[in-house]
Amino acid sequence: MLEAVALALERYMDLLAARQKLVASNLANADTPGYRTRDIDFQREFRNLIQGGSPQVIEVAGLPVKNDGNNVSVDREARLLAENALRFNLASNLLRAEIRMVRAAIQEGRQA
Amino acid sequence: MSLFAALSVSASGLAAQRTRAELLAENLANAETTRTPAGGPYRRKDAVFSSEPVSSAFSSVFAAELDGSLAGVRVAEIVEDTREPERRYLPGHPDADAEGYVAFPRINPAEDMVDLMGAVRGYQANVAAVSAVKDMIHRSIELLR
Amino acid sequence: MSGRIAEVSGVAPLAPLAPAGGRGEAGFASLLKEAIGRVEGLRRAADESTMKLLAGESEEVHQAALAVQRAELALELFLEVRNKVVQAYQEIMRMPI
Repeated sequence: MLEAVALALERYMDLLAARQKLVASNLANADTPGYRTRDIDFQREFRNLIQGGSPQVIEVAGLPVKNDGNNVSVDREARLLAENALRFNLASNLLRAEIRMVRAAIQEGRQA
Repeated sequence: MSLFAALSVSASGLAAQRTRAELLAENLANAETTRTPAGGPYRRKDAVFSSEPVSSAFSSVFAAELDGSLAGVRVAEIVEDTREPERRYLPGHPDADAEGYVAFPRINPAEDMVDLMGAVRGYQANVAAVSAVKDMIHRSIELLR
Repeated sequence: MSGRIAEVSGVAPLAPLAPAGGRGEAGFASLLKEAIGRVEGLRRAADESTMKLLAGESEEVHQAALAVQRAELALELFLEVRNKVVQAYQEIMRMPI
């Protein structure tokens, strides 16, 4: 019923949720020896618009490693936390607008 | 909905950082403690973190692949400093030994202070994560309005 | 005979007000078709803007948001206009001629 844009928004939100979960993991393990920062390749996962497929978790390259083998950057994770939240916010509002438009057409159709 | 798993992850982070902060506070409080019930000076304590997969009360056997790789954290063990205590020459001290030396804990308060700040920052980061995830769950619920 | 009168008086015959056969309907229908064309156009623009934003090709959140709002308002306006037009049509149909 909801068309291409709505499906894309749904996929976008799925990926943002997945990413946020990994950010939570990274933050919880910011001081765990040997722990490596994890993420998903957002752009690539979004381009394969296959619903229901779980995104692939990858290790983030290029982060400085501390003495205990941990490479979590709290600044990076905090930035991602905020960014993911804002994008999710945006996508959910766009999706609500879609739903409203379809609903308006249905309701007006009844009255006419 | 598996965003709830993220809440479990952050909760584990909060618990671990709090334990770490408590141990550091204990170290700072006992930086000059020469006498313990176990005998000898206080020995510095440290928390060893280790990551472990989370499960929430609502997750099932068929939980999504991604949730399987969600790592929470826990305090695997609390280790005591096994080094020789620091010896200072204080002949008048009640705990002085035959040669007038007193055994003090090997604690560098400045170092533990900085560590404590790190634990607090870690705690705050996990609080921020809980807040952000909670907000996302709310917005998903609002799609129903 | 009416043609002769028209020639003499120089007044062109008025187009019939009441729908007769389909001419009046065509007037209303084309009105609506035009309006819905505009709504569709705005909708497509909104979709494009959104997809660009999601794909990371454009970071202009306000553009996508405004485009979607425009499309939504246009749709609502169209629906209101359509209702009024249908009402007007029905009233005219009820007029005794």
